[in-house]
Amino acid sequence: MNELDKIPVRQELSVAEGNVKRSNPLANVFDELVRFCQSRSMFMLHYCTGCGAIELPPAMTSRFDMERLGIQPMVTPRQADILLITGYVSVKTLKRIILTYEQMPSPKYVIGICSCTVNGGMYWQSYATAKVLKEYLPVDIYIAGCMPRPEAVISGLRDLMGDIKSGRADNWKRYFQNYDHYLGNQQKLFGEDWQTPTDIIAEAEHYGLMTDQTLGEHTALLQKHQQPLEALEFSLGEKREKIQGENPREKNNE
Amino acid sequence: MRPENYEAIKQPPSNEFELNFGPNHPGIEGNYAFRVKLNGDEVLSARADAGYLHRGFEKLMEGRLWIQNIALVPRICVPDPVPMEVCYSLAIEELCGLEIPERAMWLRVMQLEMSRLAAHLFAFGGHAATTGMYTPMFWGVADRDLILDRFEELTGGRVYSIYNIPGGVRRDMPDGFLDRLGTLLDYLDSRLPDYDSLFFRNQVFIKRARDVGAMTQEQALKWGVTGPNLRATGLAFDVRRDDPYLVYDKIDFDIVTEPGGDALSRNLVRRAELKQSIRILRQIIKHLPSVKGAVRCPIPNPLAWNVPAGETYTRVESSKGELAYYVVSNGGDKPYRVHVRGPSSMHAVQVLEKLAVGSRLEDVAQIMFSLDACPPEVDR
Ligand code: SF4
Repeated sequence: MNELDKIPVRQELSVAEGNVKRSNPLANVFDELVRFCQSRSMFMLHYCTGCGAIELPPAMTSRFDMERLGIQPMVTPRQADILLITGYVSVKTLKRIILTYEQMPSPKYVIGICSCTVNGGMYWQSYATAKVLKEYLPVDIYIAGCMPRPEAVISGLRDLMGDIKSGRADNWKRYFQNYDHYLGNQQKLFGEDWQTPTDIIAEAEHYGLMTDQTLGEHTALLQKHQQPLEALEFSLGEKREKIQGENPREKNNE
Repeated sequence: MRPENYEAIKQPPSNEFELNFGPNHPGIEGNYAFRVKLNGDEVLSARADAGYLHRGFEKLMEGRLWIQNIALVPRICVPDPVPMEVCYSLAIEELCGLEIPERAMWLRVMQLEMSRLAAHLFAFGGHAATTGMYTPMFWGVADRDLILDRFEELTGGRVYSIYNIPGGVRRDMPDGFLDRLGTLLDYLDSRLPDYDSLFFRNQVFIKRARDVGAMTQEQALKWGVTGPNLRATGLAFDVRRDDPYLVYDKIDFDIVTEPGGDALSRNLVRRAELKQSIRILRQIIKHLPSVKGAVRCPIPNPLAWNVPAGETYTRVESSKGELAYYVVSNGGDKPYRVHVRGPSSMHAVQVLEKLAVGSRLEDVAQIMFSLDACPPEVDR
C-alpha cells in the first residue's frame, strides 16, 4: 500500500497534465474535438472474468441498449478502447488480462465492475483470486456492487465518457510512467520471472512517457530472466537426407 | 550470406495446427478455454482448459458459518443461481431435521421454475448467437429481464436473490405478486410461437444444428450427462419426478424427451421445458393462495448455529442438469466439508472434449452452448 500512495491520484494528475492549454487556440479546439469523438465511439472488450458478466448482455441488448451511447462490443483487444473487467479475477485470469491490456492500443481505459475488483469482495480470503485490481493495472473507473445493475454499468460508462471528454481519463499513462511499480506487483504474484511479450519500456519511450518510475529494480529482473530467442535451426545436407528418410509421406509420393 | 553447403529443408506438408479457443473469445461461454487441434477446419482433438474462474468455493465454505454460506452458493452458477441456494438449504434442513412450512416449499418451487425459465431463455439466446442469429439472443435476453424484474420484486435482487435460507424463505411475497407473475407468464406464452418461427423452426438453425455434437443414450449415461442434455437422448429422467423434493409430487408436468441427442434436440428439449415451466408456474399461481401459514420455521440463532453431526446428499434438478450437494457436519458452526456436484463439470469438460472431435471449428461454440455448460460451476 505504501508504494501505491506514491502514485498521484487521478485529480492531482489531471491538474498536473490533463488540461494542458496550448498556446494556439485552434489546437485547443482541435484537441477538444478529438476527445469528443473519442468519447462517443468506444469499443469495449469485455473479458468475462467473473459473475458480473451476466449483467452485460442486458446492458448491451435492447432493454438498456448501450449502443445508443456509441459503445459497442469488440472482439479483439487490438481494436478495443475499453477493457471491462467483470468481476473477480483469479490469478490465472489476471495473467491473460495483463496480456490483453498490453496489446490494446493507447489511449485505453480499464473499468473494474463488481466489488470483487475493488477489494476482493466475497472472495477476500480465497487463495485463488487477486484481490485489488488497481495494483496490477491502472483502473479508470470502478463500478461497485455485487453485482452492479445494468443502469449502474451504463452510468459508470457515462462517467468515463465525461472524463474522456474533459481530458481527465489519462490513467493509461500511469502504466507507462509507473511501470516498475505495476510490474513489481505482478512479479509478487506470478514469480519474478514473469514476462509479457509486449515491450512496455519501448512503448513508453515512444509516447514520451518515461519517468524515473518507469525503470527500476523490477524491470531489471525483466532483462535478467529474459530468455534469448532460440536460434532458428537450419540443417545441412546430411541432415536433410535423414529427415526425408523419416518422412513416410514423401516416401509414398516417390 | 548463407554457407555454401546450405540447402533449404523441405518440410513435410503440414496442415495440422493447434488453436487456442478462448478464454477471451466471443464464441465461448464465459471465461473458459479450449485448445483444439485442427486439420483444416476439422477438429482432431480438443482439450478443455478450465480454472480461470476458480475461487476455491469448497474451501471457502469450510471457513464460514452455515448461514454465511448462503450468500456464497448462488455464485457457483451465475445464470441459474436459485437451485444452488435451495439445494444447500435442503441439505442443512436434512441435517438438522427441520420441517419447513408448506408455503415456503411452494415459494421455493416458484422461484426454481422462474429461474429455469430465465436460464433457458438465456441458453437458447446464446446458442442462436453462435449460429449468427442475433435477434433471438436479443429477444431472449430482453424477456429474461422481465423475469428478473419479478425476482427483484420478490427478493430484492435481480440475479442473486439469497432468498432461500435454511428453514424456509426470507419473507412472504408482496401483495399482487402472483397477478403480475401471471401477466408475465401470459406474455411469455404468447412469445413462444414467435420464438418458434424465428429460431426453433428456422431452417438456418435446423440445418446448422442437426447431427452436430450428437451422442447416444449409452454414451450420455456413461459420461455422466444429466438434465436436458440427457433427455435429448431419449431418456426420461428428471429429478423433479424421479426423486421428488419440495412439492413437485403435487404438481402436474410432463418430462419432454427428444430422440436425436444432437444440438438440435437439446434445444428443442429446452424449448419444450419453457412450456412446462410456464405450466408449473400457472399451477402454483392457482394453488399458492390456498396455502396459508408461515414461510419459515424457527431456527436457532444463525450466528451460533451448531448443525448436528452427520452427512447428507441432496439433489435438485437445475436448468443444466442434476445438481447435488454433499455436506458433512461435525457438529460445529461451520461445515466440515461441502462438495458440489455440478452438472456442468461433466458437460463442459469430458463431454465437450469428446463431442468436439470430428466436428468443425465453427461448431465447437455451438456444441458448448447447446450443452448449456456454465464455466463458473466447472471451476468453482
Ligand atoms: S462482486 Fe459479486 S457479482 Fe461481482 S464478481 Fe464478485 S461475487 Fe460476483
